[in-house]
Amino acid sequence: MAGRGTEISQLREIAMIKVEKLSKRYKKGESADVEALKEASFQISRGEFVCVRGASGSGKSTLLNLLGCLDRPSSGSYRLDGEEVSRYSDKQLSRIRNTKIGFIFQSFNLLPRTTALENIEVPMVYGDGCVDRQSAREALRRVGLGDRAEHFPAELSGGEQQRVAVARALIRRPALILADEPTGNLDAQAASEVMGLLQDLHGEGRTILLVTHDPALTAYASREIFLRDGAVVSDRELGGTDREVQGAV
Amino acid sequence: MRAAKITSQALRSMNRNRTRAGLMMLGIVVGISSLAILSSIGEATKRDTIKRFKNMLGTFDTIIVRPGGSRLRGMPTLVNVPPTLRFEDADAIAAELPEVKAVSEVQTAFDIDVQYRDRTASPAIFGVSRNWLELRSEDVADGSFFSEEQNASLTRVAVLGTDVRNSLFPDEDSLGKSIRIASVPFQVIGTLKSRGAGPAGAALDNIVLIPINTSSRRLFNRDYLTMLIAQVKDTDRSTETTDKVAALLRERHHIRPPALDDFTLTNPAATMAQVTRAGSTLTKILSGVSLMALLIGGIVIMALMSIAVSERQKEIGVRRSVGAGRSDIVQQFLLECVLVALAGGIVGLLIGIGGMEIVARVQKLPQTLLWGPIVKAILVAVGTGLLFGIYPAWKASRVDPIQALRS
Repeated sequence: MAGRGTEISQLREIAMIKVEKLSKRYKKGESADVEALKEASFQISRGEFVCVRGASGSGKSTLLNLLGCLDRPSSGSYRLDGEEVSRYSDKQLSRIRNTKIGFIFQSFNLLPRTTALENIEVPMVYGDGCVDRQSAREALRRVGLGDRAEHFPAELSGGEQQRVAVARALIRRPALILADEPTGNLDAQAASEVMGLLQDLHGEGRTILLVTHDPALTAYASREIFLRDGAVVSDRELGGTDREVQGAV
Repeated sequence: MRAAKITSQALRSMNRNRTRAGLMMLGIVVGISSLAILSSIGEATKRDTIKRFKNMLGTFDTIIVRPGGSRLRGMPTLVNVPPTLRFEDADAIAAELPEVKAVSEVQTAFDIDVQYRDRTASPAIFGVSRNWLELRSEDVADGSFFSEEQNASLTRVAVLGTDVRNSLFPDEDSLGKSIRIASVPFQVIGTLKSRGAGPAGAALDNIVLIPINTSSRRLFNRDYLTMLIAQVKDTDRSTETTDKVAALLRERHHIRPPALDDFTLTNPAATMAQVTRAGSTLTKILSGVSLMALLIGGIVIMALMSIAVSERQKEIGVRRSVGAGRSDIVQQFLLECVLVALAGGIVGLLIGIGGMEIVARVQKLPQTLLWGPIVKAILVAVGTGLLFGIYPAWKASRVDPIQALRS
């Protein structure tokens, strides 16, 4: 037991996310490039629950896509779990997405005409290919939908669909959960259920990154990163003192 | 395991879009069914032609020499055979050309009645050498063939083809019976095995064989031949041997250019090659037609799958977000195209086999289910799916997951 404790503390020493001067520029016609993210630098430790906020167009989505390994930065460094992934190939990024990251989207993004259970199994297909139906059922039970396994997304309520998405996000036991406005399309009741699930995942030691513009959701987070015009303008512990913002203009 | 899972997902995806999958299959179904029908008909026709030739000639290692130049057409009868091809010519070919293994002398008549009691038949009468059976790959069904002694001593014996035996002896044994060929009595010593139909549907079993010397001196009363058959030693060199036979005959008949030959040579191997080539050309043309249908089928797959890619952008985005690489997406869509094409191919084959049965029945061709064309058809279907799946699969792999997930 003592040995395991030191192991975990060693792991904690490696930051879950460490970005340095991370930038993303888009070419826009003939005119100058649009800089969607400007030299963002911050570090997120293992087990943190971080809320990323900002108005639309502030660079939240760009940051999320970069952190989620769906996109590559134009410049800067991104170390995920100690691994420099900013120059990874498509294949390598795909493996990272499969093993280390679980996505939860505002619009659920379940495969239509595919049962809840099969939706949860999709990430396993792209892992070692070994589809473990039992653990898929287990994940579904965990989000309280054990009796909805054979239902299609269209037969589920919004809240239920999002819970299926949560089950899909955690099926590969990723260390990092990226949630993009997960409650944006839900009523208050369903929203609090989904947030409760996120809280549980956080309780298990997973790192949660929640992107939202809803100030109410910051209540779940222990830290808030605020973006404006592609730059990190504030980074503070919630209920604590402000952190020094690195690299902000 | 992974491949199996991707396959089952592709199958499920096809199942979810049944109408589209059905449409995609359509072109392949048409292409493959016509390919199967046409190439099988071509192949069956070819085999049938070869079989008929084989029925008539027995073997393909013989050169047939007929008297008269190439102007002469039609079946020789007693009256219109030019008296230019002599027994001595046959002897000379056998003696002087080492390339020739054996020579058979033949006299024929097609207008002679054969009688047994009150029954009459009009078969072809063949006066032949003792070696006829070997040269023609024929065999005696009952009784025996005549011997060299019987030939030398002008014995009046006859061997009957099955048609003749059936019409003269419908319900009694023919062996030992006495028949009359042009009123000359002959004893039946044997019957031939049936040979089936010739190239033009000629009745090859409507024949009576008698010793050549007997036919020459006792029946036809002529000392020239209707035909001689030279068996070549080396079939690969049958054309050269044919030329040598021609040269020898020209010399013996004192023919010098520009005088034309007074004989006609047929090299069955060459004829066969020509027939086979013509057959395969037909097969090629017919296959080309079906390849056209396959091309259209392939384009249909490409077009519909491209539309499907546009409609399934979100699915692609989701798969990408949970760890699918571009290559996984390429595989998935390629596999779907291949499976659709394969399914189309199988349906097409089933229709094709059904069609073949009908055509075979109508055309009275032998019903041959040929594995070659079947395997070829399946491969062609899979290949079509693969080829025309490349573009939509590539397109799918280029879908930007970020855009796709946001939509």
